[in-house]
Amino acid sequence: MELSAYAQGGWRLLGDPRRFPRRAYCALLRAALRSLLLGHCREGLDDPDLKDIDPTVLKHCHAAAVMCILEAGKQKADISAISTCLEDCKLDKERIEQFCTEYQKNKDALEILLGSIGRSPLHITDVSWSLEYQIKNNQLHKTYQPSYLVTLNVEENSDSGSHPDVSFSCTMEQLQDLVGKLKDAAKSLERASQM
Amino acid sequence: MLPPASLQEEPPRAAVGELGRLAVELLRRGAAPRAYEAAARKLNIDIDTVQHGVEGLTYLLTESSKVMISETDFQDSIHVLGFSDELNKLLLQLYLDNRKEIRSVLGELAPKLPSYHNLEWRLDVQLASRSLRQQIKPAVTIKLHLNEKDDQTAHVLQTDPSTLLHLIQQLEQALGEMKTNHCRRIVRNMK
Repeated sequence: MELSAYAQGGWRLLGDPRRFPRRAYCALLRAALRSLLLGHCREGLDDPDLKDIDPTVLKHCHAAAVMCILEAGKQKADISAISTCLEDCKLDKERIEQFCTEYQKNKDALEILLGSIGRSPLHITDVSWSLEYQIKNNQLHKTYQPSYLVTLNVEENSDSGSHPDVSFSCTMEQLQDLVGKLKDAAKSLERASQM
Repeated sequence: MLPPASLQEEPPRAAVGELGRLAVELLRRGAAPRAYEAAARKLNIDIDTVQHGVEGLTYLLTESSKVMISETDFQDSIHVLGFSDELNKLLLQLYLDNRKEIRSVLGELAPKLPSYHNLEWRLDVQLASRSLRQQIKPAVTIKLHLNEKDDQTAHVLQTDPSTLLHLIQQLEQALGEMKTNHCRRIVRNMK
């Protein structure tokens, strides 16, 4: 696992007990994780334990910490890989351990966050349906047939913005065809997962 | 159902056969002025009469098919025209022979929502992305083909395994509804 020169510089500062006493170091780690997982940046850095740190240094070190967390998450790095990387930045054993502990606690949430970044087709989240019985219309009387209206609820994509739900009508036979094909897909999934 | 005024005078038998054919073609494919000219020459009547006759027959056939009028009611309706029995039988036969097709043409005119045409699916497993390596993320990619206002559209969508099972369960419930007592009772009483 490798960090950029800028990040390494930040970590060297973080490893320096004169620049970053113990409490400040822990506060910064917490702030870095919170800013990634919750998206709050300001509040984390307003921690009282960090008030004595020079703002430029604080900004540099926050960035370095975030970069290290993201790189470890992206590569699914194990403890030894992270330790080696931080040792190269001259961090003492205790600080490395603190980082690894905090990282481990938040590893799963981080993985979910990273996995959700990226493009994919619109994602179906739910389906709603209604069943109607058609009696007549102004062109044709005595039609007498059931009809389904199906809406596939699609997750709102921040890119598209608009309401992308897909709605369509279908006869009973068509719905049976649709369900049959979905069941084929599910069966294939099951078989694939058993391989 | 009142027959149209254009059928007031009894037309000759051959004419009805020919005009009937033209009327059905009108409903299938729209007006064909050349065919009217040909028919007018063949039957030795003027083209306006041909046109009115065809329009009258078209109206008769369309209205009868629209309400799905019974044989008896059809015969009662055209009786008022005072045609011969033979001609009435011809008209009735014209109606019965073409009713199904005319109804399906009329059905096309109804207001329509996008409707289902076909579904294609594909299983994918995402192994890595720019932001995360070493993944195993199964997904089902679906291409939903719909008929929308004379065009076919295709929507590419994706879902995960658990949502897929949920979709199947929900839609199976939907299919099951038609078999419930409530729905069966309504269908019986509607007919």
